[in-house]
Amino acid sequence: MPPLLRAEEETKVREWFGELERPVELFVALGPEETPRAGAGDVDFGQEMVRVCEALAELGDTLSCRVEEEPEGFPRFPAVSIRPNGRDVGVRYDGLPWGYELGSLVGGVVEAGREESTLRPDSLAALAVLDRDLSLDVFVTPT
Amino acid sequence: MLLAFRCALASERVTAAAIEANEFPRLSQELGVWAVPRVVVDGEPRWDGSVPEAEFLRRILAAA
Repeated sequence: MPPLLRAEEETKVREWFGELERPVELFVALGPEETPRAGAGDVDFGQEMVRVCEALAELGDTLSCRVEEEPEGFPRFPAVSIRPNGRDVGVRYDGLPWGYELGSLVGGVVEAGREESTLRPDSLAALAVLDRDLSLDVFVTPT
Repeated sequence: MLLAFRCALASERVTAAAIEANEFPRLSQELGVWAVPRVVVDGEPRWDGSVPEAEFLRRILAAA
C-alpha cells in the first residue's frame, strides 16, 4: 500500500493535529456498499476507509479512530463521522476521501478540534437564530 | 466543504455530510450531480460550485 501522505504533507498534518484544542474521534461506519462507477477497480472501500482513518489517527495524540459495523444513523457505507470530544454533532464524510478530498477530512478534523468556531460573527449570529433543523449534503469527487 | 462542516459544528440545528459522488452513483444520478461541489439543502439540489462564506450562509438560510 502506498503511504497516505507524502513526507512534507505528513509533517504539516502532524503539526495541525498537534494543535487540536479538544479530542476528536473518527467514527468509521462499515456496512453494505453501493457498487461504484466503473473504473474504481477492486478497491475495498470499507477497508481502505479504515486504513485512512487509522493512519490519520496516528498523526495526532488527541485524534482517535473507532470502527463499527452498521451502526445506526448512517445512510451510506463506508462513512466516517468526525466527533469532537467523541460526540456526534452531525459532521460526516460518506465514501472514501481519497486524493484531493483527503484534505476535506483533515480539514474537518482540524475544525472539530477547535473550541471556537472560525465562522465570522455575523455567520454565527445568523445560525444562532435558526429555528429548524437544516441538512447540508455536499457532493464531492476525487480529482 | 469546510464551510458546511463549520456550520454543523457551530449549530446543533445543522448537519453536514460530504458525499463522494463516484462512490454513490445512484444517489448522484437521482440528484443530478454533474458538477462538484453540488450543494443539497434538505434533500433539494441548490447550487454547484464554491461560494464565499457570507453567500453560503445567505443561500442555506434562504432555503431553510
